[in-house]
Amino acid sequence: MRRVAITGMGSISSLGHDAGEQWRAMREGRSGIGPIANIPTDLLNVKIAAEVRGYDPLKYFDSKRLILLDRVSQFALIAAREAVAQSGLTFSESNIGERTACIVGTGIGGENTHNEQSQRFYGDKNPRVHPLTIVRLMANAAACQITMEYKLTGPAFAVVSACASANHAMAQAFDMVRSGKVDFAVTGGTEACITVPTVKAWEAVRVTADDTCRPFCKQRRGMVLGEGAGIFVLEEYEHARKRGATILAEFAGSGMSADAGDIVLPSETGAAKALAAALRDARLEAGDIDYINAHGTGTPANDPTESKAIRRVFGGYANAVAVSSTKSMHGHALGAAGAIELVAAIGALREGVIPPTANFIDPDPECDLDYVPNVAREKKVRAVLSNSFAFGGLNAVIALKRFD
Amino acid sequence: MSSVQDTVFSIISKEAGIDIAKITPESTLKDLEIQSLDAVQIIFEIEDHYKITLPDRDPNFDTESVKGLVDAVEKLLAEKQAASPPA
Repeated sequence: MRRVAITGMGSISSLGHDAGEQWRAMREGRSGIGPIANIPTDLLNVKIAAEVRGYDPLKYFDSKRLILLDRVSQFALIAAREAVAQSGLTFSESNIGERTACIVGTGIGGENTHNEQSQRFYGDKNPRVHPLTIVRLMANAAACQITMEYKLTGPAFAVVSACASANHAMAQAFDMVRSGKVDFAVTGGTEACITVPTVKAWEAVRVTADDTCRPFCKQRRGMVLGEGAGIFVLEEYEHARKRGATILAEFAGSGMSADAGDIVLPSETGAAKALAAALRDARLEAGDIDYINAHGTGTPANDPTESKAIRRVFGGYANAVAVSSTKSMHGHALGAAGAIELVAAIGALREGVIPPTANFIDPDPECDLDYVPNVAREKKVRAVLSNSFAFGGLNAVIALKRFD
Repeated sequence: MSSVQDTVFSIISKEAGIDIAKITPESTLKDLEIQSLDAVQIIFEIEDHYKITLPDRDPNFDTESVKGLVDAVEKLLAEKQAASPPA
């Protein structure tokens, strides 16, 4: 069986505009959650989010290009550029672009465009809708824009599974590289849906916190919306090794499952099934895993259920594995969440530092694992799991191994 | 039985698909086996009917029991009336 290396990483979120800056923030336990600044808040009850701040699109795109790009595609392209540059690959050489898949997850797609045009039509009663509305808001727009920027002509599409979109997308890209269908993939997730109607819709579900995100602790009051993107370059392992590429980590396996139960309530069984499948697929034992980047939304329902699922799969090793939720810092970026969290997973593998669960106050008896509260911890990390569990009961877990 | 209580009972019955005769003021949503998503729909329908906003996990409001919901609605309606200028 072929092996798969990660040779490029790029990301943008409330913690910074590149992956390095975000990893430093996570390691320092710094939170990107704050008062909402990019949209009017007068109609909002929840006035906090983890927004991408200090962002000027014109720094990255000229105005002619920008007219085609919803914020969700801008984030994906910015992350892709960083990842591709780091990989050192030139897709126009040696038919590499022809052998590259481009699979990008998003929960919502071009929500800002949708919102602006709806406002124009219904609110302003302006009957003329912008002609580029469709191509900006379609959920596959980000994937398409990346293929066009780099002339990637292999399999390309978007993956949609709410909060697990990025992990499902990356799992699919990994399978394609491992199976030999392609030799490279540009993959990850992107989301930009902090608009007034979306925040109102989240408020209505009554799962969003009004103070901050405090996963796994007793005082947690829910999730905090985030945004951003994470994009990675996957490459057939021998190819990466032979060309002397810097291998950030080995993409070792993935596990997916559906709860087929409740549309919102998580299931311990479903989560456990995906965790166990990821270990099996990666040919790893629970005892090999030193860190789990948890889904850890900070909702009353997720955190105990996820903890029980980990305990069920890890058995006697459950007390030894470090578990943290970096959503406490970059918020819940929905379809980008798994990709931004892979930056944390890779950082932990490469530097032997576990990013903490920030904003942690008191332990909850329902959540009884080692959550690395508030302060990062030095620990040799051989392999990690990164969890995403979506509304609708769609679960996807990724397993990475350290490259020595 | 107050009219608010009648309305809250009928919303719960309709949204959760349970017989209205089974609902008492003392019932909690849990007793009535109302799932979380039905519970947020009930709260939404109550809010939409009365044009009020029920607080989310506020210790001063009990939104777990039927009586708690009725009391909360009555309190918010009274506040709303007090806040609006006399006709």
